[in-house]
This record gives sequence, structure tokens and C-alpha cells, in this order.
Amino acid sequence: MQVSITVNGKRYERNIDPRMLLVHFLREELGLTGTNIGCDTSQCGACTVHLNGKGVKSCTCLAVQVDGMDITTIEGLAQNGALHPMQEAFWELHGLQCGYCTPGMIMASTAYLATNPSPSEEEIRGSLEGNFCRCTGYQNIVAAIKSAAEKMQQEPVGV
Amino acid sequence: MTGFLNTSVTRPDAAGKVTGQRAYPGDLVRPGMLHLKVVFAERPHARIRAIDTAAAMAHPGVVAVLTAEDVPSNGFGLIVPDQPVLCGEVVRCVGDRVALVAAETPDAAEAAARLVVIDYEDLPVISDPHAALQTDAPLLHLGWGTNIISEFAIRKGDTARAFAEADVIVEDEFSTTWQEHAFLQPEAGIAYVDEHERVIIETAGQWLHEDRRQIATMLQLPEERIVVRYAAVGGAFGGREDLSLQHLLALAAWKLRRTVAMNWSREESMIGHPKRHPVTIRSRWAARRDGTITAVEAHAVADGGAYASTSQEVIKVIALFASGTYEVPNITSTIVAAYTNNLPTGAFRGFGAPQAQFAAEIMITKLAHALGIDPLDMRRRNIYREGGTEPTQVTLPPGVSALPVLERCIAEAHTRMGHEPPAAPYLRRGIGIAAGIKNLGYSFGYPEQATAAVELYGDASINRAVVRVGAAEVGQGTHTALRQIAAEVLQVPFERIEMICDDSSAAPNAGSASASRLTLIAGRAVHDAARAALQQWHEEERPACATVQYRPPATTPLDPVTTAGRPNYAYGYASQAVEVEVHLLTGQVQVLRAISVHDVGRVINPQQVTGQIEGGVVQALGYALLEQFQMRDGYVTTPHFSSYLLPTTMDVPEIIPIALEHAEPLGPFGARGFAELPLVPFAPAVAIAVYNAIGVWLTRLPMTPERVLEAIKKQHTA
Ligand code: FES
Ligand code: FES
Repeated sequence: MQVSITVNGKRYERNIDPRMLLVHFLREELGLTGTNIGCDTSQCGACTVHLNGKGVKSCTCLAVQVDGMDITTIEGLAQNGALHPMQEAFWELHGLQCGYCTPGMIMASTAYLATNPSPSEEEIRGSLEGNFCRCTGYQNIVAAIKSAAEKMQQEPVGV
Repeated sequence: MTGFLNTSVTRPDAAGKVTGQRAYPGDLVRPGMLHLKVVFAERPHARIRAIDTAAAMAHPGVVAVLTAEDVPSNGFGLIVPDQPVLCGEVVRCVGDRVALVAAETPDAAEAAARLVVIDYEDLPVISDPHAALQTDAPLLHLGWGTNIISEFAIRKGDTARAFAEADVIVEDEFSTTWQEHAFLQPEAGIAYVDEHERVIIETAGQWLHEDRRQIATMLQLPEERIVVRYAAVGGAFGGREDLSLQHLLALAAWKLRRTVAMNWSREESMIGHPKRHPVTIRSRWAARRDGTITAVEAHAVADGGAYASTSQEVIKVIALFASGTYEVPNITSTIVAAYTNNLPTGAFRGFGAPQAQFAAEIMITKLAHALGIDPLDMRRRNIYREGGTEPTQVTLPPGVSALPVLERCIAEAHTRMGHEPPAAPYLRRGIGIAAGIKNLGYSFGYPEQATAAVELYGDASINRAVVRVGAAEVGQGTHTALRQIAAEVLQVPFERIEMICDDSSAAPNAGSASASRLTLIAGRAVHDAARAALQQWHEEERPACATVQYRPPATTPLDPVTTAGRPNYAYGYASQAVEVEVHLLTGQVQVLRAISVHDVGRVINPQQVTGQIEGGVVQALGYALLEQFQMRDGYVTTPHFSSYLLPTTMDVPEIIPIALEHAEPLGPFGARGFAELPLVPFAPAVAIAVYNAIGVWLTRLPMTPERVLEAIKKQHTA
């Protein structure tokens, strides 16, 4: 089936198997392997991307379902070589260990901040319930998101 | 130049990890590679009468279907090679691999795997280790002659007499269940044969050189012909210590002379690597009226599952820590690990220490209650001190910091906990404090070493330093810490130090990322190699190079008669306090706060220390309350994250990590390992807190709401 999907600002026309999941489209068709797969039951959130600005688990939708839509992956978050404040915060505040959950965490939290720019710690935790991290215990992830939110309040960036 | 220790140098791999550029094993797949699919047994015990691969071979795109006959030496294992690479005669657990399909596309491989017809004759299933030990139980490994994988005993003093003379005796039974590592990155990798006829495997793991050894043995090739490289490793926690698919990749690449790739699903990962041992422990402790513990008796049975993996070593740790962090003059501690048709059990952060000390910490608390003594005073009186004697009748290695660690934890709990009442009449709060001990490094005579090489380049000053050390970065940050150690010795800026760690042909063997050992042992090797290279540099050698193998003081097996011996060369100490809230109507236990105090010897990187403690505490919380990997009649009933529950952000309490610095005499700059310790006292601390909240003991892990409610009900009817 023919689809046209915009990923990280670039339009891709592809003829694909209608059963192909979005996450496989990104990883295999486009070679964007920053989006990870951690489970087969839509539980872990490692595959989270932005779909028209909203956070979605890319293993839960078919590529054909997002025909004509706009996707942002972790590879598309940095603008003109400058890291997104969320990426900087995860790096600086040690919001990662193995890093496998990180792209999903960063995409989920940036999407969440678009709906709630200055969340409380409680709200941040609530927004990440669908994202597993087995390494960090979540503390530094929450701290990184809080710090990025504060920074973004001062110097807003577009996502 | 300023110091490089006690500073939060940001991890160099973070850049690639926050941008999605860093490649994990599953990211290495390229067009043109062959895709592999394992045909798993999916039944717990059966004889293989025949394997028919014709239909699978006929499927379009299929290149080969490998079976037992294709494996040059068909057995592997960390200690005993009792696990078939591909089963030819018998399958002993649902995770057994029977055939390996190679095809041009993942879809073809998957479809063809379903076409492999295996004619099985089902055999009786042993799903309980106690049943496996019955004299009439069928043998799971005929050639081995018994269902006992291994047994172990420690005897010290005269336990019978001590019990006869005791003022008070308490008795109880404990049981723990499997825990799944659930590292977020499922097993994956690629393999190929290079132009020098070497088999190259690019994957994830915890010990390059041990993977290489086992793969070389399987292929019957010299070790130099095997090269293992690690891509970014997405967590490990002990679950990547055994081979899972690395050897299958190597086998297919070697046989087919093509580049092969395999990417496991979560479901495959769940059955594809060993779990934490379920253990039952019967304990009896005795004390004098003044609170001195006089005797400990513990008899434990561990479910080793279908293959030996590291059971033999795990049970030694369980037996050694039956008396916890306490000096006890009379000990009888026995343990047996049995083969069953469950999934194999092996290494998992803590390596037996969590199970043993779940029992020990509850027992000392009950003993104190029976004597009417404050359980914390009871701990203070009996806890290990410098010069104390181990269960194996030798003096503890120097650097015993158990008491100051406990005192700090008690003090912190006093100021931070128990100050607000619960918000509703059906909620009860309680505080629990427990101590823990864990060996650092390999034990009981297992060969222990780490090797590092340092090269210094430049003219008047050092422009560039290269550190080679085959230590696996599994997320814990070891490459950052080792680089800081090198920077500190060399007084060369961090950026000028290049680390070569991920290639078995380019970095020397530093042993596994396990047993909380890398900072201590690999760190010491890097430290000593850097010192030696610097010495050469001062003698005008250009480049200045040095390789150092660091060997800590030797440990020994125990004497078969007296059970005396030197089990370990170093220990880590921790104490934890938790405050819980128990919901009387639902049985839900919520941890409100957790204090985790660790002696880390010397802080190399504060951010990483905190991160290890917090991550460990949350895994421990899962182990104590949530994570219940279940098997019924040999079948896994929790094959996904939908049924195997992991802690999420919503389960996590306030965590207060505290690092103390009592130098470890052997460690680089006094540093010691600690990364397993958060798993050790946590579960008993929760059990004690629950007891303090509602007055009932939970002696089975995990402490699920159903079990809490059941215990409350029993208390009411009693
Ligand atoms: S891969 Fe786990 S939720 Fe998508
Ligand atoms: S950093 Fe490893 S899963 Fe989050």
C-alpha cells in the first residue's frame, strides 16, 4: 500500500505491507533506529514518538494509519544541531543509564510539556506511567523533566 | 590539576543516547543479512523422536534449518556445559532451543519456524525442587546421575549444644520466587565471518571473554578465532551473564558464511535467559537473654531449573549469608539446588544475598521481639565488626563498616520518618530497618583477576592516553568511572583519555560486570596500569605502555571436613529504612520513603552512585511487592509485561540515597562496589515495616495484596 508520511520534517512516499507497524516503518523502512522496541504488548513506552505533536507508542499503530500525518522521532528533536532542552537535561542530570528507555522518555515528556508546560512533580510522574525504566529508579528522569520544563519556560522552543 | 574523583563527570555515551544515535544490538541489522528464528521447545519435558525440517526448508526465502547435528560441541554453560545449544534428544524446559531457521527476511524465518515439525514424546514434569529431590523422582539429566545440581554446607561451632543451652529460640520458614531481569532491551545481535576467518559476534553481554570462551568451545575453534563485541547494552542485572543467543548467532554465521541477525521479542527474552532462584529456607535462631545470638541453623532448597547456569555459586552465597551481617559462634547452614523442568535460574543482582537475608533480617527481628529487646539494639550488639569471624571460621577482610552504616541509617530514619499519621482509619503506617552484606567479586576460590593496559602518547606532556580494559558497560556507568580513575592517576583531562572496552580482541579480560566488582577490581587494574605507564613516561619512554593484571588476595574453597576457608576478599555493607502504609481493606502496601545507606569506600562519581542506589531500590521494591514471575507445571504464566508487573513512576517512593566513605583497603583510591546492595536489605525492611504497621509477618515474596489480606485474616481468626 502506498503511504506518504512526514517524518522529522521530511516527506517519505513508500509502498508498504498494510500490516507494518509504525515502529517498524521508522526503524526498517527509514533506518531511524533511535526509536526502540522493548515489548510486544504496548506496555513499555520505549517506542514513543510524536504523532501530529502528541505522544504515541509507535508499536500500537500501523504505518498506514498515519498516512498523511506528521511524525517526530528522537532523531528529529535537535534543531540545527542544538539539542532540545529535554535532551540536555537528561544528559546533564543523569536521567539515563543504559539509555534504552531514553528516546521514549524524552518523546513522551516533550509531548506532555506541550499540554502542561509547568507540571508538578506529581503530574510528571503521572504522565510517565506508561514508560518503563529498569535502570534509574525514575528519580533523575523526573528531575530532568522538571529542569527542562523550567528552562523551556524561560526560553520557549518549538517541538 | 584538580581532582577527577567525587565529581559528576557526565557520561560520554549520553550524547548518543539522548539523540538516538547510539546503536543497541537490534540496531545493527542491515539489508542483505540473514534473519534467524529459534524454534523453542515450548514444552517443559519431552523426548524428541524426530525433527522434520523439510517443510520449513521448502518455504520461500529459507536458507537453512540448523539442528543439534550442526553443532560441533553441543553443550554450554558458565560453570558446567550441561545446556544443549540445540536440543537433539530431550527438551527440559519451555525455553530450550531445538532448531534455528535462517531466511532472507524476518517474516520468512518466522513462518518457516512454525513449519518445523518436531515429534515429541512428553515426559513427566518436575516443577518443584522438593519433588525433584525425592528418591523416586525421574532423573532430568541421566548422565549426571542425580537431580542435585549442587549442595553446600557450612558448619561452625556446636549448633546442637547452643540450641540446648539457649534462653530463647525462634523458628520460621521463608519462601521467595523467581524474579525476571526485565532489562528493557531484548536480546539481539549480528554475526559474520571476517576475512581472517574469525567469527565476529556483535551483541550485548556482561563478559566479553567468557562469551568468547564458551563460543570457541562450542565451535571447537581457538579463542583467537572468535571476536565478541558489545554494542550499547540495554541493561543486564545478571540476566546477560549466560549465553542466550550469542552462540546461536555465531553458529549460524560459521555454518552459513553469511552475516546473520536475530532480534528477540519480549516473549522470547522472558524464556531465553535464567531468572533469580526461588528459595525456601527453614531457619532456627537462638540467643541468650542479653541479646547475643548464639546459633543459627538454616536449611534451604533452591530451584535451579533445567540447567546448572550459576546455581552452584549462588547457593554458596545463600548459605554464607544465612546468618546475615551478624557474627554467630554456632552455625549450621545447608543448601541444595535441584534440577527441575522450570526455566533455569542463575545470576541476578544480589546473587543469592537477597533471599538469604530476607530470612536472616526477619529472624533477628523476631528473636529481639521474643527477648523484649529493641531489634536495632539486637543488631548493634551482633553486627560484624573489624576483626570479626565469618561463618567459615576466618577473620573478615579488613574494612568492616557494617555498624557505622547501620547507625547512619537509624539516625536518618529517626529524623525523616514516622512524623505524619495516616490519612484514613483503614491505613496503617510502619517503619522497618534492615542491614545487609554482599561479597564484592568472585568467591570460594573461583579465579579472580582483572587486566588493564594503558598507553601514553605525547612528547613533553601527555597528549593522549589509551586505556584498554574489557569491562562491560551495561548502563551502570563503569566506563565513565574507570576513565575518572585513569584521569586521577595520570592527571590528564578526561577528554584526552580514550577507552577501549568493547572488543574481546582489543581489550584485555577484566572479568564480568557482576558481583559489584568492576569499580573495585577493574578499577584497581586501571589504577595500577596507569601508575606503571606513568612510571615509564617519567623514564622517558614514548609511548609509555604498561599492562597490569590485578589479582586480589586469594579466596579458597571450603575444607570438606571442617568447612573452614576464605570465602571472599571484600564485602560491601548497606542498611535501609522504609516507611510503608498498609491499606487494611485492599492489602496494598505502599512504600512512602526509603533511605538507602551504602559504604561506597570512595565516591568516584556522585551522580552515578546516586543513580545506582535509586535504580537498585526500585528493583528491590519490585522484588518485595510486585514482581511475581510465575510458572505452572513448567509453563510460564507471566510471559509479558502485561502479566509480569514492573514498578512504574507511580510505585516509586521518596528515595534518600546516602553514600559513606570508609575506604576499602584494596580499592582504587579506597573505592568499593555497592551496586547489588540496594537489593539486599530492602525486602526484609518492608516485611518488618509491615509487621510494625499491622502486626503480622509476611514470610513469602513478593508481599502481594492477596498475601497481605490473607495474613490479616489469619491473624483475626487466630
Ligand atoms: S515497544 Fe513497548 S510500548 Fe511499544
Ligand atoms: S536507562 Fe535503562 S531502561 Fe531506562
